[in-house]
Amino acid sequence: MKARLYHMVIILTGLAMLLSACGGAATPAAEQPPAAEEAVTLNIIVEQVPDYDIVAELTQTFMQENPNIKVTFDAMPYDAMRDKILTSFMAPKATYDIIIVDNPWMDEFPAADFLLDLTEYVKNTPGYNFEDYVAPVRELTTHDGKITGIPYYNYALGMIVRQDLFDDAAMKEKFLAKAGRELTIPKTLEEYLEVGQFFQENGIAGAAMQPQRGYKVFEEWKNWLYAEGGNVIDADGNVVINSPEAKKALEMYIEMYETAAPPDSLNWGFDDALRSMASGQSATMISYNWMLPALNNPEGQAGELAGKFALYPVPGGKAVLGAWYWAISKNTPNPDAAWKYISWLTSPAIDKLRVEKGGAPVRASTMQDPEVWEKGYGESYYTTVYEILSNCEPLARGVHADEISNEVGTFLNAAVAGEMTVDEALAGIEAKVKEILAK
Amino acid sequence: MKHTLRKFVTRLATFLILVLGLLVVFFPYFWTFLTSIKDPAAINRPLDFSFTPTAMHWQAVIRAGIPRQALNSFLVGMITVTIALAAGAPAAYAFSRFNVGGAPTRFAVLLAEMLPPSVLIVPLFLLLYHTQVLLGTIWAAVISHLTFILPLVTWFLIGFFDEVPRDLEEQARVDGCSPWQAFVKVVVPTIVPGMAAAGLFGFVLSWNDLFYALILTTGSQRTLPVGVAGYWTFRGVEMGQMSAAILLAILPMILLSFFVQRYLLKGLGGGAITGI
Amino acid sequence: MSFLRIPFKYRLLMPMGLILLAIMIFPLGYSLAISLQDYELSRIGQERFIGLDNYIRLFSNSSFWTAMGNTITFVVLAVGLELVLGFFLALLLHNKATFMRGFFRSTLLTPMFITPIAVGLMFRFLLNSQLGVIPTALEAIGLRVNWFGPDLALFSIVLIDVWQWTPFMLLLLLAGLESLPEDPFEAARVDGAVGWAMVRHITIPLMRPIILAAVIIRMLDAFKVYEYIYAITRGGPGEATESMQYFIYRTGFIYFRAGEAAAMSFTLIIVITLLVALLFTVLRRESA
Repeated sequence: MKARLYHMVIILTGLAMLLSACGGAATPAAEQPPAAEEAVTLNIIVEQVPDYDIVAELTQTFMQENPNIKVTFDAMPYDAMRDKILTSFMAPKATYDIIIVDNPWMDEFPAADFLLDLTEYVKNTPGYNFEDYVAPVRELTTHDGKITGIPYYNYALGMIVRQDLFDDAAMKEKFLAKAGRELTIPKTLEEYLEVGQFFQENGIAGAAMQPQRGYKVFEEWKNWLYAEGGNVIDADGNVVINSPEAKKALEMYIEMYETAAPPDSLNWGFDDALRSMASGQSATMISYNWMLPALNNPEGQAGELAGKFALYPVPGGKAVLGAWYWAISKNTPNPDAAWKYISWLTSPAIDKLRVEKGGAPVRASTMQDPEVWEKGYGESYYTTVYEILSNCEPLARGVHADEISNEVGTFLNAAVAGEMTVDEALAGIEAKVKEILAK
Repeated sequence: MKHTLRKFVTRLATFLILVLGLLVVFFPYFWTFLTSIKDPAAINRPLDFSFTPTAMHWQAVIRAGIPRQALNSFLVGMITVTIALAAGAPAAYAFSRFNVGGAPTRFAVLLAEMLPPSVLIVPLFLLLYHTQVLLGTIWAAVISHLTFILPLVTWFLIGFFDEVPRDLEEQARVDGCSPWQAFVKVVVPTIVPGMAAAGLFGFVLSWNDLFYALILTTGSQRTLPVGVAGYWTFRGVEMGQMSAAILLAILPMILLSFFVQRYLLKGLGGGAITGI
Repeated sequence: MSFLRIPFKYRLLMPMGLILLAIMIFPLGYSLAISLQDYELSRIGQERFIGLDNYIRLFSNSSFWTAMGNTITFVVLAVGLELVLGFFLALLLHNKATFMRGFFRSTLLTPMFITPIAVGLMFRFLLNSQLGVIPTALEAIGLRVNWFGPDLALFSIVLIDVWQWTPFMLLLLLAGLESLPEDPFEAARVDGAVGWAMVRHITIPLMRPIILAAVIIRMLDAFKVYEYIYAITRGGPGEATESMQYFIYRTGFIYFRAGEAAAMSFTLIIVITLLVALLFTVLRRESA
């Protein structure tokens, strides 16, 4: 028995070795910095999003043009990324040569000295046109005067609506009778609430909301806060969340949830809201602007509703900015090859190709290119995205941005659930944010 | 007559209760299966049964490497359990026969299983990366799984060894066996059912772990639970594909459970849980 | 030859001892050291020793104690329900007269073999208020249940745990029932005991140590609840379903504060150990 057991250990060990040998591409193998012609493998951690599919496709061209550089991707869902990235940084040699960085981490990672300074690379790459990136997205690339990230794609929030409902004659008539004005795309929170409640009374949820605890609810509500002119932290670093503007924005948000959102949707996140829209059970949602193409895809989950969705700026006009950045691990053995890849992928010419295939734009020139309009999703989509991107601000900045986003979300979610009053929640957020900033 | 009637009613009630339990257990499987053969638009109409079945999700999942992840999970489970049995059996024997450390040690072994993974993960990670060769291979998962499977298997086996009559080894010793030979040739064969039960149980725990695997396995070394969780992304949840992946993850275990259930029962009853 | 001079019983312990030393004792000690430092994963190299500060700060961290309370409530409710249901089903499946006994045994046990993340995601979709089949079907008969609202969320998580782990309880108890001696039952039958009286006066007393073992095993596992919460509520609404495991995971791996996370883990270990000891004393005393 014993002998047999050990036998089995040996066999299984052999099998495992074999497998790890086959899968060895996942870890960079080069021990010394390679000479110019030596083959280099770049391992990249990415999130599984539509943009990644496009990048993977484009990368084939890069590898044909640069046969000595092999690019491999480790794609995973968002929630698994942060600890993976961290563990890669902690290792003496990077698991990932290139990582993508979410905007809340764009101050934290450089401050922890995880990322390579790209300032010189950017300066020395001819025709790169760094100034072309829209300003709010570009601003986040820089920490302490050093560029550490290159914009990948944006996920600024917009309002996605069922255009057919807004154009419906019967709906228009009913709305006019009820509200005494035309049924239009809401431009203020008051209008949004009124329109939402109107749809709810007419058999379709007014807004598919995402009040799930954590960053989700904050990502949605902060657009409401902007609409009232409020903010969490002002330009001078003061915590200004406990304000009349915030109070009004939160009260209206809760009223919308109680009177116009799908019932019992307190734990809904992005996916539930999207499904609700796709299945024709909600009339509007505030979500990532790049969801529009997915909803309008006739082979996608919206089925027959595809083509009936349209994108607008959020009520109030100022949106939450989200964006991903390419960055190079400080502990990679191949920084030059990594930059070669990133600068190729994000160059004006290739960026244009990416957006034409459906990627979310970050370069102004790309969004204003009639050829992109034609091959992509049409002029109005790109001009709307450009409009959204010219007036937006991220959830939080600084080294604790991720923690702030998550913790604020706890209080917001508790307020929507009725476990806290609006005043308690705002006071709680104020105290919590101050506590985190003091760390 | 009255007695038979009562018996019949009791049996009928028992049967109905069990059928109800069966429905509760199987409904989620059934629904997940339905979801896996609906097209994306039909998934959003839960009570609509007039859809045309599609194999698209199953094909996509198989292309996406779920079989490879299943193989990873299988190997991780087998290696973990093999090591746990090889190291745990002698230790359990020592605890049982020679009462090393007394009752508190037995209890400590059990408590070791309960350690929150959060307390071990950071040091384990550091340990793995200093070894260099282990990180990024399935051995990282094996090592982390041993932290809870080895104590559990050992604790299970203590009970089984308690049940083995001492005469057996004494007879073997009289026949000229060394203590080690007596253990391997005489004692171990009598607790094979127990080892099987403990091993199977350990295998199931390893197969199902998400916490360690999520942090410690990457790329092609990913295990099945990590793969299943991977369908829940910001491109929207691909419910059809995820349902197919879930079914692929649970089917082998359900089939396994049919075959091993009797063994497990016999093994457990043999002493593991009576030995506390 | 010095290896052979080590007494046999210690030689037997060596493989396990060495493995546990490397992958458990060492990490535990390391973690203990981390818990005494201001240790952030994003500031490696800048750790400093701060004694018991991390622990002291925990006392005033209300979220931590909310999570602790939730977890204990969860464990008590879930394990309690699983014990009652599992014992009942085990009695039915132990009875030789039960029709299709073997079939029910193998099918009812299946949920415990499934990876919990799959269970969490399955129920997330089954219970979605607008598109899930259960709320849709309930609504058709006029019922509205807010499964993940503030009142029910923790209980819904308990129910999911019950779905998955009652089979395990059933398995342990059934194994126990099968191993009981026949004599006491024969004697009781001669005395005219039937049905509930038999269960109460013979089965339960005989099963007491097995019940204790089953409850402890299940309890230790239930304290690790994480996947259902990760998949469904993320600890919400508010902090209603915040569990220890999820809280510690966030502190350590999302906020990178490893020192605090380690202190929380050790506090949790102390609490669990106390609870297990308590359970032992109570149940052992009753059986004596």
